[in-house]
Amino acid sequence: MFVVGITACPTGIAHTYMAQESLERECAKRGYEYHFETQGSIGIENELEQEDIDRADMIILAVSIQIEEEERFENKNIYYGNVDEAISYPERVVDKALKHYGLLED
Amino acid sequence: MDNIKKELKNMQKALLTGTSYMMPMVVAGGILFSLSLLGGSATTTGMTTANAFMENIKVIGKAGLFMMIPILSAYIAYSLSGRPGLIPGFILGYIANTPLGENEVKTGFLGALIMGLLAGYFVRWLKGLKVHSMLKSIMPILIVPVVSSLVLGLFYIYIIAQPVGFLIQIFMDFLTGLNGANSILFAIIIGVLCEIDFGGPITKTVTMFTIALIAEGVTVPNGIYRVCPGIPPMAICLSTMLFKNKWTNADRDVAKTLGIMGIMGITEGAIPFAIKDAKRIIPSTVMGCVVAAVIASLTGVASPVPHGSFITLPMVTNKVWFCVAIIAGTIVSAVMMGVLRKPVDEKE
Repeated sequence: MFVVGITACPTGIAHTYMAQESLERECAKRGYEYHFETQGSIGIENELEQEDIDRADMIILAVSIQIEEEERFENKNIYYGNVDEAISYPERVVDKALKHYGLLED
Repeated sequence: MDNIKKELKNMQKALLTGTSYMMPMVVAGGILFSLSLLGGSATTTGMTTANAFMENIKVIGKAGLFMMIPILSAYIAYSLSGRPGLIPGFILGYIANTPLGENEVKTGFLGALIMGLLAGYFVRWLKGLKVHSMLKSIMPILIVPVVSSLVLGLFYIYIIAQPVGFLIQIFMDFLTGLNGANSILFAIIIGVLCEIDFGGPITKTVTMFTIALIAEGVTVPNGIYRVCPGIPPMAICLSTMLFKNKWTNADRDVAKTLGIMGIMGITEGAIPFAIKDAKRIIPSTVMGCVVAAVIASLTGVASPVPHGSFITLPMVTNKVWFCVAIIAGTIVSAVMMGVLRKPVDEKE
């Protein structure tokens, strides 16, 4: 299982990175391969390449603002998560994403 | 129903995106502008800077404060319609923040917000039009930016700006009619209105009113008003210190600069916080301003300078009560924010 995603909050100083850490920890715990890009006030970091996105089994965008370079995700099936939920309850976000992709029964 | 909900969510996302891009601009402009007033003196035409070097810093700071408005509308439009929204967004925000016509109508932050949303939806519709393949290549570079800026710019100037200007005029007449009536009621009204939009058009209406009265030699209404401008940013700063669990780490970091802006009388620093949590922040800051205005009114604080907060202290009459009013208003407002806000759930 390869999961990619972006985290971004309005201020772009703290929540963005907390959500990234939290989702990474959750994916690591489940033994998934992962790559999460952050879009904080400093701009894009840990950038996702198009090939990562094409190869991914799940795309999780935990964002509360408009993201940059959205065209990378054109015609992709995306799960939109809540950035605050990703910080506090990453397991719920990942479960919801799995359901979104039909990989987990309700 | 679901569609409306989804669109409202989109709109909220757009407002957050605009705020997100505006925030560093508010900080850069606000801090440099405040800095430039250090060592300056308060005169009857506003704060003057200490020397030519400080004046140059003021130029830089003012540029930032001016541009935060176009940035807000541009990135609201960008969020709704992608890159093509940026240009009409910038242009419309600039117009909203520029005095128009002989009445010098300016709608500032509120006008920019409305125009940013309109630009976003208009461009989204425009770029979705099915056009001939010959036109298709010039759509993004020529048709979209020119048509959207022209149509919405004229719409703003002829349809939106005038009624807003008219409303401001009504406010003016209303306030002028009130003067001399019950002075506490008067102070409450100034307190409610003066910073309700954080330095925006309503604030500027109060400003015009009190400055007009200074010209008549009446400095008390201006004194009542000038205790207020620093309260919203200082209250947010104080509240983040007193109620650590009600604010995020990021909020607390940003709020430190707000304290300085408050002392310098720059209300705009509070805007990003107010947009994020309007229904709790605005009532709190309004309450703080009312408390301060009433205290100032009862104790006869007067000020002949068109600027506010602690930095104008050398010029005001009744200095002690001027300070008491500001401090009391700040504390009331900070505590009210702390009580109204829910604790934030944040892992270290």
